[in-house]
Amino acid sequence: MITAERKPLPEIKEMIQPFRKILVVGCGSCVAECASGGEKEVGVLSSALRMDAKMAGQEKEIEELTLDRQCVYQFIDQLTNRIDQYDAILSLGCGAGVQAVAEVFPESVILPALNTTFIGETKEAGFWVENCRACGDCKLAFFAAVCPVTRCAKGLFNGPCGGSKEGKCEVDQESPCAWQLIVERLDKSGRIDQLNEVYPPADWSRQQGKGPRKIHREDQNI
Amino acid sequence: MDQKSAGLKLSIFFCQQIDANQDAHRRALEKELGSKISFFPLPCSGRIEPLHLLRSLEGGTDKVYLLACAEGSCRYQEGNIRARKRLSYAQTLIEEIGLEARRLELINMVSGNSKTIEEIVRELLAREADVEPSPLRT
Repeated sequence: MITAERKPLPEIKEMIQPFRKILVVGCGSCVAECASGGEKEVGVLSSALRMDAKMAGQEKEIEELTLDRQCVYQFIDQLTNRIDQYDAILSLGCGAGVQAVAEVFPESVILPALNTTFIGETKEAGFWVENCRACGDCKLAFFAAVCPVTRCAKGLFNGPCGGSKEGKCEVDQESPCAWQLIVERLDKSGRIDQLNEVYPPADWSRQQGKGPRKIHREDQNI
Repeated sequence: MDQKSAGLKLSIFFCQQIDANQDAHRRALEKELGSKISFFPLPCSGRIEPLHLLRSLEGGTDKVYLLACAEGSCRYQEGNIRARKRLSYAQTLIEEIGLEARRLELINMVSGNSKTIEEIVRELLAREADVEPSPLRT
């Protein structure tokens, strides 16, 4: 899922300062999972902003809404009949969600309350770790489902750097050495011979350098 | 000056396991203090959410107490630990907007507590007020 963290409150306050009536819009998908933009977080942020405005003597009306997903038109459409009431929308969606809402309502002020961070997994409650860089050229089959692009700090494709210590990465001592994991898992699954292969550099043009990436599926366009 | 004399408005979120007869035992206080006190029984203190605490303050409460069972005595194992972490998080949120963290306070009962909710809250009311009336009071 996509993870995000709430922006520092002073930054959010500065963004909404010129606006009086604001709708705080959450997303029930990825950002709810990482406890940054779901219904609870919308409630907490809205309450904090209302209290702050009241204590500062500011006239602000802050209302709340959470969409199932903020990146899909069918859900964004829930805003259609009410968005004109508001001076600004404070979105707790990821970057994709904020922009999707803005595409549907280009004349409205849509502001981001989150910093979108990475694609990752929930390792345990309250702990999320990056494990995919969306490189567009997935090689997980070769590396026992341990991504060397994301989880090796040096992005090595053909073996460890030799700097790891007790299974930990020399660049980030809190992370396991990705290559140790790769070797162990290839061994456990009887694929250790895959280490004999030499893998060329990734085709980075699949990830960057050509503007926003797109996927078209005519069979999905009903 | 004690909290009762100071006229503070209190919210009491509490674990129902603390007093099996809490429904009856809080009536006298509710009648005596009226709108100055609000009780929120919880099936476990771990049910608390930071949102509950913030909304309570937003509503003009001066101080919120969360009464939890002694650590190690939660019938749901870690509910009161969850409560502690969530209250702590709520404290960071209110400090961001300039409210004192002590407006939210967790109190763990002693193991084997036999006091009623009324007795416990009367002790709290007798405590020295450590916050001013909330700037959010209407």
